[in-house]
Amino acid sequence: MKTKKITICAILAALALIIFVLESLIPSLIPVPGIKLGLANVVTLFALYYLGPAYAALILVTRVVLGCLLTGQTAAFLYSLVGGALALLTAMLMKKIFKDSRKMWIVSVFSAAAHNLGQMAVALFLTGTWELIWYLPLLMVSGIITGALTGILAGLVFNRVKKAVNIEKNR
Amino acid sequence: MKENSSFKNKTFFWVLVFAAAVVICLCIYFLRPKERSDVALIYQDGELLYTIDLNKVTEDYEILLEREGSGNKVLVSKNSICMKDADCPDGVCVDHGELKDNSSPIVCLPNRVVIKFQTSGDEDVDVIAGKAQ
Repeated sequence: MKTKKITICAILAALALIIFVLESLIPSLIPVPGIKLGLANVVTLFALYYLGPAYAALILVTRVVLGCLLTGQTAAFLYSLVGGALALLTAMLMKKIFKDSRKMWIVSVFSAAAHNLGQMAVALFLTGTWELIWYLPLLMVSGIITGALTGILAGLVFNRVKKAVNIEKNR
Repeated sequence: MKENSSFKNKTFFWVLVFAAAVVICLCIYFLRPKERSDVALIYQDGELLYTIDLNKVTEDYEILLEREGSGNKVLVSKNSICMKDADCPDGVCVDHGELKDNSSPIVCLPNRVVIKFQTSGDEDVDVIAGKAQ
């Protein structure tokens, strides 16, 4: 069972990495620092529900480290890591409140908001310019919208995979 | 059936909560103070590098900022300042255009560059910059 989990974990990490690299090729629509769709979080969220928090954290760290090296955005490493860690912690807490997997999108919205808060904190710390805080409302709006979208997507994938696995087991 | 309707109600409740949060955030953003001044400050890594009085600029010139092999090019003109070029992958700071007001500074997160206007709160900083120059 453990080997199977590790294998799934590796596949998901590879998947997250591909999504991350592909997304980094799309130019941002809104010229505000730090706003993006965050499609790779679909994988993190899926892993949290399907494999548990420890595996989700492993996938997240793998994706952030390799993703920064692959896209050459080594400067973005700290933003991604702090944001991602906060997002995962929030998702873990929120999952305890909203247990139903149909409510995954609510968990995802809180998680995305936490991600952007973490990012903002790092940006404030590194640049030492408090005026950046005026971008926070925009980052929150983007977090709520992108969080809902990625959460809905992760929920759809999760329920389908669960169904498919059950069919496979009953054969 | 009953459980399903309560699920729908709860979903509706959260949609409302998030929609309200979006509206509030947008209001804060659009009602932000839009102060500006003639003096622009350029920071990198939280350190003040340049203090420029945009009113006194007579001819356009460029400032090159370099950091760990990557660079930003700042274009300074009379009464306007903008990021002309950056070799980071996203180029958000270039898309930002010229510096408009003090609550929307030009930011390059990868190279940790910030360009903003000097406001009343920055007077202490200016003294230090004066010594360094």
